Amino acid sequence: MTAGQRVLRAPDIIGATRGGLDRVGRGALLAAAIVRILASPRRYTNAALAQAYHMGIRSLPLVLFMAAIGGALASQQTGAQFTGGLPLWVIGSVVAAGVLTELGPVLTALVLIGRLGASIAAELGTMKVTEQIDALYSIGRDPVTFLVVPRVVGGMLVVPPLVIVADAVGMVSGWIVGLVAIEGLTTADFLFGARFYFRPWVLAFSVIKAAIFGVTITFLACFIGLEGRGGAEGVGRTTTAAVVATTVAIMLLDVLLVPLLKVA
Amino acid sequence: MIEYRGVWKQFGDDSVLSGVDLTVKEGETLVLLGPSGTGKSVLLKHAIGLLTPDRGDVIVDGISIPRATPEELKRVRRRIGYVFQNAALFDSLTIARNLALALDTEGNERPLAAVRPEVAELLRRVNLDEDVLDRYPAELSGGMRKRVGVARAIASRPRYVLYDEPTTGLDPVNAETIDGLIVELAEELGVTSIVVTHDLESAFQVGDRVALLTEGRLRACGTPEEILASEDPVVQRFMHRRFGTAAAQ
Ligand SMILES: Nc1ncnc2c1ncn2[C@@H]1O[C@H](COP(=O)(O)OP(=O)(O)O)[C@@H](O)[C@H]1O
Ligand SMILES: [Mg+2]
Repeated sequence: MTAGQRVLRAPDIIGATRGGLDRVGRGALLAAAIVRILASPRRYTNAALAQAYHMGIRSLPLVLFMAAIGGALASQQTGAQFTGGLPLWVIGSVVAAGVLTELGPVLTALVLIGRLGASIAAELGTMKVTEQIDALYSIGRDPVTFLVVPRVVGGMLVVPPLVIVADAVGMVSGWIVGLVAIEGLTTADFLFGARFYFRPWVLAFSVIKAAIFGVTITFLACFIGLEGRGGAEGVGRTTTAAVVATTVAIMLLDVLLVPLLKVA
Repeated sequence: MIEYRGVWKQFGDDSVLSGVDLTVKEGETLVLLGPSGTGKSVLLKHAIGLLTPDRGDVIVDGISIPRATPEELKRVRRRIGYVFQNAALFDSLTIARNLALALDTEGNERPLAAVRPEVAELLRRVNLDEDVLDRYPAELSGGMRKRVGVARAIASRPRYVLYDEPTTGLDPVNAETIDGLIVELAEELGVTSIVVTHDLESAFQVGDRVALLTEGRLRACGTPEEILASEDPVVQRFMHRRFGTAAAQ
């Protein structure tokens, strides 16, 4: 590489780094603004409950479907691999562990990224590029109070119940598929295995993870949506960016949260 | 009073405003003319802090907009109505809710039924029927949306109104209604305003003063008579070309 090339490339890297840091800075400012507003619940409670309700209704069918498939796969895969050696009741433990700690929260989060994250990013991105966000400022309203906080709080409220439902459906589906597909497995075995594994903390872990995922999905979707620019095509790019960024964030968080399971 | 002091604004490498000085006096209606893409909208947005200058200052009622705290900015914005060039109505809300949002302040919202009479009155001022109240912006024509945008801007009884092409795309009757409203607000309520327009006829009708923005600077600023009598060839060409096309239509 010649010196000339290096001179040309350095500003690109510096520029890109600075752009990335600016963006992190703006994200931190948005987070700080949200936290400040949280102190006065009267300003957002109704809107947040309405958001939670709509988010729940819109995503429930797909959440149920994914949870049922997840539970069924967990049970069948374990059954297929455990022939011989281990007692059959272990299947109950494996399904409970898989569904409560991973499949319930993560499959639900992935559904919500597609169902809610994408639509929030598209909606706020459209509002940004059509100057509706500017219009809110112009009438003395704060888009963070009016748009972002209700969605983030709504996400935090609705994802835990969705995950509890997903957990339950995943368990039931794992049990039914186990009875049908795994020779010799009885309901008593399955329940014994599930109880053997189960501790209240596991359920709490599932719910805590759900709340963290709910906040992450809605926050990133709002933030990336509000950064939108450049017409209809820009909104398309914004939406895709939100889905990708949120998926990566959820997967990383999923790994980072593993130690939390072991604290109790 | 709205004061622009040496305002510079650049987007990337694209310099839009290069040192604009402009004072809009209390109670005055200033018409801002200029070719498309010269930064008229950009200039207006600086007055309510939607954009911040790279250099210079914008002062409204003694408050420096670029340096204002968020709370100060919110208060100043309640005193300024802003008509967006593309209306910028909230698509997910009905017309009634669009206007109600501008009537009430954050945290003091009244139920929709309580504000309906006021909302209907706002619509009457821009020559719209009450039957649009429960429709969504997408169900209105462009001209109707524009007029709702004007109604939203005047909802909080602002002392200042910034109109970004309020009559572009309106039929002559409705354009006249809006021009009439601009004059009425100025004369009866002493509203101070900046009107961006491409309609020279209405410019000279509503404007106490007329300013021409070209290439990032104010090329001329004065009473309609002074502008028409200007010997600056750029000003002359702009005025005559426009009058020429207006006459041809
Ligand atoms: N937010 C923005 N980001 C980048 N460029 C902008 C932005 N707003 C306006 N511009 C550019 O500034 C110039 C002036 O725009 P504008 O003020 O809308 O012109 P007009 O005089 O027609 O209202 C245009 O070249 C436009 O592309
Ligand atoms: Mg414009």
